[in-house]
Amino acid sequence: MSVGTRILSVEDDERIRTAVKLALEDEGWAVEEADTGEEALNAFQRQPADVVLIDIMLPGIDGFDVCRAIRRVSDVPIVMVTARADTHDVVAGLEAGADDYLTKPFAPKELSARIRALLRRVRSTDSGSSHLRFGDLEIIPDEGVVRRGGEEIHLTKTEFRLLVELATSPGRVFSREGLLERVWGYGYFGDGRLVDVHVRRLRTKVEADPANPRHVVTVRGLGYKLQA
Amino acid sequence: MRRLRFLPRLGLRARITIAFAVGALLMSAVLAGAALGFARQNLLDQRESSATARTYQNAQTVNRALPAGSGSTDGGDPADVLASLQTPSGSNPVLLVNGRWFPLNPEFGEDVIPASLRDMVRSGQPARMRFDHDGTTQLAVGVPLPAVNGAYFEIVSLGELEQTLESISISLLAAALLSTLAGAGVGWWAARRVLRPLRGIGDAATAIATGHFDTRVEASDDPDLAPLAASFNEMAMALEERIERDARFASNVSHELRSPLMTLAASIEVLENQRGDMPDRAKAALDLMVADIERFRQLVEDLLEISRFDAGVMHLDLEEVRVDELVMAAVTTSTDVDVPVDIDADLAGVVVRADKRRLSRVIANLLDNAAKYGHGATRVELRKNGDAVLIAVEDDGPGVTPEDRDLIFLRFNRGTSAGHRRGIDGVGLGLALVAEHIRLHGGAVWVENRTGDQPGARFVIELPTEEAT
Repeated sequence: MSVGTRILSVEDDERIRTAVKLALEDEGWAVEEADTGEEALNAFQRQPADVVLIDIMLPGIDGFDVCRAIRRVSDVPIVMVTARADTHDVVAGLEAGADDYLTKPFAPKELSARIRALLRRVRSTDSGSSHLRFGDLEIIPDEGVVRRGGEEIHLTKTEFRLLVELATSPGRVFSREGLLERVWGYGYFGDGRLVDVHVRRLRTKVEADPANPRHVVTVRGLGYKLQA
Repeated sequence: MRRLRFLPRLGLRARITIAFAVGALLMSAVLAGAALGFARQNLLDQRESSATARTYQNAQTVNRALPAGSGSTDGGDPADVLASLQTPSGSNPVLLVNGRWFPLNPEFGEDVIPASLRDMVRSGQPARMRFDHDGTTQLAVGVPLPAVNGAYFEIVSLGELEQTLESISISLLAAALLSTLAGAGVGWWAARRVLRPLRGIGDAATAIATGHFDTRVEASDDPDLAPLAASFNEMAMALEERIERDARFASNVSHELRSPLMTLAASIEVLENQRGDMPDRAKAALDLMVADIERFRQLVEDLLEISRFDAGVMHLDLEEVRVDELVMAAVTTSTDVDVPVDIDADLAGVVVRADKRRLSRVIANLLDNAAKYGHGATRVELRKNGDAVLIAVEDDGPGVTPEDRDLIFLRFNRGTSAGHRRGIDGVGLGLALVAEHIRLHGGAVWVENRTGDQPGARFVIELPTEEAT
């Protein structure tokens, strides 16, 4: 399936980088390596990868900055690698634009599964309609286009899939677990912060006033829903 | 200092209060005693001198009324003379004329007067004497009347005086009691004042013990208290620094250990992909490595989790979770997916505030523990217990002896019986983590005998439900 899909792996520890590259290549991905943030940005500029894997602890430009810099020019799926899951790093990484995260040491097979989930494409059959409208918001799943007040807005692939997922049943409340499973492919023990931060990011783009959301609404204790 | 054994150990406040009360009691007792003595002496003196003066006066009257020098009773009848005398109530005159006694009141005749006084007065010596008659103190004053070869006596009751003194002493006793109470009150208040800074330090120590390492006591400008507050704050600062250092160390260790583990985890996966092409001996070696890298990973994970508890930097991601869903998910993702789960019917929809992933690790640890030491879990039970939820994991093993029941929740401790068995690869952190996690969730964990009189252990977790909190 994903032969030819290119992963840019940014990691300063050479042995880790090499071992991960070997394992990912076994999984069928093409891997390009970078050992610093600067090199990663140069490589991405030369030829954008399909997925970026970034270690947060990098000498020089750190992982958060690399993430933000890539986000400015691309909606490519980004997976952050953190040393610990219980620190603020995870939320900071997601807010910098990462789509998902893994904690060292992870199994490369797990990383492959995560990447495959992030690369899933949205088709109109997922949403049941080729054209969805919520007040001033217009979603065209097949083209990957979202417009607010007629103007196109740029979403990352994951933000887009989250929005389409919510749009499949307007007004229905989606639990965080349900969204984690359908957008990220996680089971019961997925990290709910993924959903929360992505909803926050989504609101800054689709809401006129992100502090008082009209479309992507929180239902306390239950989850989120989309409304006109 | 040796403490008397029969005295209970009293607090400082109680001791200060008692000391003040005893001091007040002693002082008021001395003052009351002195006041009573003084009043008594004064009143007696007054009473005696007035009685003596009146007796002399009456003796003179009698002397004038009776014919002088006569041994006879002609001229004036002594009884009439007596009756004409002015005597207040409680005062009984007795007249002796030529060896004959004439009492005014028959109840107070010459036999009431002490013999020694009678003899002394008859020998020509005026005298007075206090004595007891029918339970009341009496004063007898005698004046010799040589002209009629007799004497004049008055017997005065001091009972009234005794009554007065008694009521004075009752008032003084009441005053003493009051001042004792007041002394105790002052002592209690003073002890409170003195102990208030100590209580502040105690509160700060409690706060530090519960993980608020930045707690300090307010610096005092009182020269007696300032050094205490200062040294307490110094200690707290040293402790905080030390804990921060430990936390940094744990974080550094985390990074240092995770990096080589990451390389190992990725490399071993590459080797596993080639497993089919390997000779049997290489396969066997590979399998050993796979198993031990997993054990290594788990150990690093557990050690870091424990050090997070120690550094007080453990934070739970609490959310409202349906407990039945959580337990089912924990069991289905564990290594023992086939264990039967009995869920109480009225538990449907019961919500606990929990860190999902940590609580599932707790359940996984208990299942793991059952697999290693109890021949595998036989049953997971989930039921409501009042406001709490009980999650129990039962096994088929030898059970846990009563003396091991607390020990097995300590770090690197597998209980006395488990330690002797071979082929067990636990390091003894699993149950310690269970205990720490459950404590942080506000619950309790313990081990008991398996239900139904069968051999085996039953590990029980008790968690408060949302309604309860």
